[in-house]
Amino acid sequence: MAEIEFPFPFPEHLDLIMPEMILASMGLVVLMMSVFISKGRQQVVAWTSIATCIAVAYSVMSVSGQDVTMTFYGYFELDAFATYAKLLMLLATVLAMFLSLNYIKDVENVGEYYTLMLFSLLGMMLMVSATNFVIMYLGLELMALCIYVLVAYQRDVIRSTEAALKYFILGALSSCMLLYGISFLYGSTGSFMYVEMGEVIAASGDDARLAVLTGMLFVLAGLAFKVSVAPFHMWTPDAYEGAPTPVTAFMSVVPKVAGLIVFIRILVDVLPGLQEEYTTLLIFLAVLSMAVGNIAAIAQRNIKRMLAYSTIGHIGFILLGMIAGTSAGYSGILIYMTIYLFMTMGVFGIIIMMRRDDIQGELLDDFAGLAKVRPGYALAMGLLMFSMAGIPFLGGFWAKYVVFIAVIEQGHIILATLGVLFSAIGAFYYIRIIKYMYFDEERVAFNFGKGLPLQFTVVASTLIIVAVGLYPEPVMEICRTAVIGLL
Amino acid sequence: MIPLSDFLVVGAALFSIGIVGLFLNRKNVITILMCIELMLLAVNINFTAFSHYLGNLDGQIMVFFVLTVAASEVAVGLAILVAYYRQRRSIAVEDIDTLQG
Repeated sequence: MAEIEFPFPFPEHLDLIMPEMILASMGLVVLMMSVFISKGRQQVVAWTSIATCIAVAYSVMSVSGQDVTMTFYGYFELDAFATYAKLLMLLATVLAMFLSLNYIKDVENVGEYYTLMLFSLLGMMLMVSATNFVIMYLGLELMALCIYVLVAYQRDVIRSTEAALKYFILGALSSCMLLYGISFLYGSTGSFMYVEMGEVIAASGDDARLAVLTGMLFVLAGLAFKVSVAPFHMWTPDAYEGAPTPVTAFMSVVPKVAGLIVFIRILVDVLPGLQEEYTTLLIFLAVLSMAVGNIAAIAQRNIKRMLAYSTIGHIGFILLGMIAGTSAGYSGILIYMTIYLFMTMGVFGIIIMMRRDDIQGELLDDFAGLAKVRPGYALAMGLLMFSMAGIPFLGGFWAKYVVFIAVIEQGHIILATLGVLFSAIGAFYYIRIIKYMYFDEERVAFNFGKGLPLQFTVVASTLIIVAVGLYPEPVMEICRTAVIGLL
Repeated sequence: MIPLSDFLVVGAALFSIGIVGLFLNRKNVITILMCIELMLLAVNINFTAFSHYLGNLDGQIMVFFVLTVAASEVAVGLAILVAYYRQRRSIAVEDIDTLQG
C-alpha cells in the first residue's frame, strides 16, 4: 500500500475543536432521530438536544485552559475569552430550548427546529474562535441561515414568514457589506489572519489609508447590522415580533454574544492602528443606539417589539465598553452580556407563559392585573423589569455600572452622562409594565402556561438576577479573568 | 495590462447598483434577491483582482467560499419567499407591511 503524503503536516491539538465536532455530529443525529421517533414522543428529540448542549459545555470546559490555544495552523483559537463566550452561548441555548419545549410541541417536524438551533450554535461557536475572516464569515453565515429559517418556523403564520423575509433581505445585505469591507482589508494587507492584518495596517502609510478606512467602515457596518446597532437596526423589531417567542429569546442573546465577541476581536486584533478613527465611529453608533432604543420603545404596544428596541438600547450601552477599549471595558461587556442573558430569558419565559389559546399575550394590555392573579410571576416580571431599567441593587444595575465606569476612566464623561440620561428615559417604559401589572384591572382571563422547564427558567433567571445584584463580585471576577490575554 | 483600479471601479459600480436596486425597487422581491447576488459577485471581483495583483491565492479561495454560501443563501431565501407567497398570495414589495411600528 502506498504511503499517503500530506502536503503539509497534519494539524496538531485537534482536541481543541472537540466541542464543535460533538455539536456537528449530534446535530445530524438529532435530525435523524426526529425522523425515526414516532410523532407522540418527539420531546425525546428536544431533551437530546439539551443534553448535547450540556455535553458540549462540559467538553469546552475540559479542553480549555491548556497552554496551547491554537489549532488548525492558527486558524482556530480557544482562549479564555472564547471559552467564556461559548459557555455563555451554550447556557443561553439550553434556556431557549427550555422555553421551546411547550411552545413548539404542536408543530410538525420538531426535530428540524432543534437541529437548526444546534447548527446555528455551531456557527456561532466557530465565529468566536475564528482568528481569520474566512472562518468568521463561514460561521456567521451558518448562524444567519439557520436563524432565518427558525424565524420562519411557523410557516402558516403570516407574521412569521414576513419577519423572516425582512430579516433575510437585510441580513444578506449586511453580509455583503461585511464581505466588501473584508475585500478591501484583504487587498491592503494580503492576508485574512486577524493578527497579520493588524500588523500590516498599523505599519501602513498614508497611501493605503483610503482602502483600509473603506474596509473598516464596511466591516463595522456589517457587524453592526448583526448585533442590531442603530442606524442598522431596521430589521430588529420586525424579526423579534414575527418570530416564535423562544426563537426571539434565542436570537436576542446568542447571536448578540457571538457578534460582540467577533466585534471585539476585530477591534483588538485587526484595527489597533485605527483606534482613533473607530472610536469616533463607535461613539456615534453608541449614542444613536441608546437614543433610538430607549426613545422608540416608549411608543410600542407589543412587548416583543418593545424588547427589540430595548435590545438596541442595551447594545448601545455595551458599545460604551468597546469605546473604553480597555480590559475593564471588554470585561464589562462580558458582565453585561451575562446579566442580559438572564434578564432576557426570564422575561421571554413570562411572555411565553402568557400565551393562551387565541391570545398571544404579547400586548402590553395583556399584562393588566397580572399581580392579582399570579403575584409570584408578577413579582418576577417586576424584578426583571427593574433590573433591565438598571435600578440598584439588581443585576442590571451592575451591568450598566461596569461599562459606565470603564468609559469614565477613559475620560468620556459626556458619553457616560448621556448613557445615564438615556437609561433614565428607558426606565419609563420598563416601569410602565409594572404599572400595568399592579395598578390596572384585569381585562382578560389568565390561563398561565405550565411546564416545569419553563417555570424553572423564569424562577432561576430571576433569582440569579437578584443574587448577582446583591453580590456581583464572583461574576465580575470570572469575566475579568476571561479577558486576560486578550489585549 | 489592466490596472487594479479598473477592476475595483467595476466592483464598486456593481456593488452600488446592487444597493440602489435593493432600496429603490418597489415591485418584486425576486429583484431584491438578484441585487443581493449582484453585490456578492461584485465582492468576488474585488477578491479576485486583489488576489491577482498581490500574487496571493487566499483571495481566490475565499471566492469559492463566497460562491458556495451565496448558493445556499439563495436557496434559503427562495424557500422563505415561497412560504410567504403561500400566505400572502403576492410578492410585491409594497405588500410586505403586516409588521409595522
